[in-house]
Amino acid sequence: MRPEPLTVYVIDDDAAVRDSIALMLGLAGYRTSVFADAEAFVAAWRADWAGCVVADVRLPGMSGVDLQDALRKRGAALPFVIITAHGDVPTARAAFRSQAVDFLEKPFDEAQLRRAIETAFALEERRIQRRDNRRADAAKLGRLTAREREVLAHAARGLHAKEIAAALGISPRTVEVHKTRIMEKLGVRNVAELVRFALAAEPPAD
Amino acid sequence: MKVLRYLRDAAVFAPCYIALDWASYIDPVGPFNITPWNPQAALAIVWMMLGGLLHAPAVLATILLADVVVRHVPGGFAITAGTAIVLAGGYAATAWALKTLLSDTGLRSTRQLTIFVTVAVSGTGIVGAAFISVLLAAGLLPEAGFGNAWIRFWIGDAVGILITAPLLFAAADAARRSTLLALVRRPEALLQAAVLAATVWLIFEGFGTDPSRQFYLLFLPLIWIAVRFGMNGAILATAIVQMGVVLGIHASGAIALPVVELQALLAALTLTGLYLGVMVDQRQHAEEGLRQTLRLAAAGEMAGAIAHEVNQPLTAVTNYGRAAQILLEREGAGSLQTKEIIARILAEAERAAEIIRRLRDFFRAGTTRLEAVEVEDLLAAVRRIGASTIEGKAITLEIEQRATGPALFIDRLQVEVVLRNLLSNAADSLAGSDRRDGQIGVLLERHDDRHLRIVVSDNGPGVAAASRAGLFEPFVSGKPTGMGLGLAVSRAIAEAHGGSLEAPAAAHGEFHLVLPCVQSH
Repeated sequence: MRPEPLTVYVIDDDAAVRDSIALMLGLAGYRTSVFADAEAFVAAWRADWAGCVVADVRLPGMSGVDLQDALRKRGAALPFVIITAHGDVPTARAAFRSQAVDFLEKPFDEAQLRRAIETAFALEERRIQRRDNRRADAAKLGRLTAREREVLAHAARGLHAKEIAAALGISPRTVEVHKTRIMEKLGVRNVAELVRFALAAEPPAD
Repeated sequence: MKVLRYLRDAAVFAPCYIALDWASYIDPVGPFNITPWNPQAALAIVWMMLGGLLHAPAVLATILLADVVVRHVPGGFAITAGTAIVLAGGYAATAWALKTLLSDTGLRSTRQLTIFVTVAVSGTGIVGAAFISVLLAAGLLPEAGFGNAWIRFWIGDAVGILITAPLLFAAADAARRSTLLALVRRPEALLQAAVLAATVWLIFEGFGTDPSRQFYLLFLPLIWIAVRFGMNGAILATAIVQMGVVLGIHASGAIALPVVELQALLAALTLTGLYLGVMVDQRQHAEEGLRQTLRLAAAGEMAGAIAHEVNQPLTAVTNYGRAAQILLEREGAGSLQTKEIIARILAEAERAAEIIRRLRDFFRAGTTRLEAVEVEDLLAAVRRIGASTIEGKAITLEIEQRATGPALFIDRLQVEVVLRNLLSNAADSLAGSDRRDGQIGVLLERHDDRHLRIVVSDNGPGVAAASRAGLFEPFVSGKPTGMGLGLAVSRAIAEAHGGSLEAPAAAHGEFHLVLPCVQSH
């Protein structure tokens, strides 16, 4: 499944506001998606969505804060940019416990909004990078044989070839062969890197 | 210069004092100034209260002179000198006590009034005892006459002060003086004065008997007046009754009247009138304050709602405008004029947003957050706000600092709102007057131990007398496009600080903003 490109999800109950934000951002080269309320966004949300949410602090029904909580519960890490027409930025900041990237007072200028979105996107890209690395590692682990995984598990605990050989009832020479194969498959150059990889990697997905 | 002013003041004071002494030298004990009516005592005390105790020597000289002119030095010069020292010293002490204990001369609360009455009554009691004692010691009064003479002196001075001092307090204050003058021009007040005069005539002449027996009748018109016109009505009414009583005593001539008893009744009448007046004023003041607060609260809510509703379309306008700019840039299309127009649309949207922001700042939710702000920091804010106010206008701004000292204890943002409002009012007033040499002055000076005062003045036409009454009322504006909120909110902010915002009567624009300082204790 290919991940979606970074998208700005605009949630505002005022049709002209969300339309104008989407138009302006669209012309500035952003991919946008608009929602009239938080419920609609939650209903449409998919786990592979990436980018950032630009939401009014007060929305009909579910509020901006509730939305953030609901998304976090579902494991969505989308960063938030909060906009408000009430001039209550300090209040909004308190409500979001500063978990939003930025708070903008309506009307804001385009540069402010783009700066906030760029900050959010930078966060998002780092997150995606980390996730992709983990996935690649998991894929590499998936290519190991059952015996190689056993050897890796022991090596990760810091055991030497002889100890591993004793534990698995095979010759130390065979253990060395397995280790070389594992390092080849995982693309690591030495035992230290191997241990680090084994510790960092998620267990193979399937 | 100081000496000249002192002499000038004394030259006004002395004839007034002597004239009052002469007019009130009725029904004395022996040849001495022991009379049941002594309004000149109030004159001396109020003069020393307002002008300072440096006036005490002038008061002493005047009292001496009065004894010479009015009574031809009864008991010799030594006695005259002794009694004059007692009187001048006693009055000076009373003036000092009143000045120390009263926060101002407004007598605006029952507490202030009680302090005034207590000091006046006890002070005159002590002065009276000392005065009589001097005469007694010199053997000029019979031993048995002490009580009688003392009561007469005491009643005379106390009634004199209770009736005359509030009148003098009011007369010395420009704003209250104009309210008093406005009051006496009202038909209802004239009717009340006529009723009062008729009642005095009735109790002296109508029944043909002892006037003190019918004196209670005077309470009815007095209550009517105090309920209708508060303190101002009460002090005028008691003054009228006093004049009536004095005329009645003079008119009755040979018939011996119980003058002391009449004055005691008058003291009771005066106290009733003053307390009733103060309470009526307090209630009216509280009602006005409440009404204003409610109106401002409603306005605040409305402003918040409007700000939100207007901000939404403003956001859309700004975004669409920006989108159009991006589009034109990308396509390399659009004439220079089109681009210019779009830029102007965006600038206007920003201006509208700024207006909304200012409106909302006026009604910033939450309570006043007081913090220590250095005087210099506040002046820097004045300079900054002033510079932006007069930008591009033919107006000069002069800032003068006459007071230093402890930091102010204020909500900086709110006070800046008030200053911005006062400065832009001054600029608007100058712009409307077509003056070429427009000038705005900001003066920072000490108000009292605990407050600083910022005087914002301009050389424009000032506030017309007609619009003075509604100046601080919400939704009353002198400007064609004004909402009438600026001064109402500014005053509310000043009062929330425990300060005040006043517009003293002047031929030019002038506002006094009083703000509290940090207290060091």
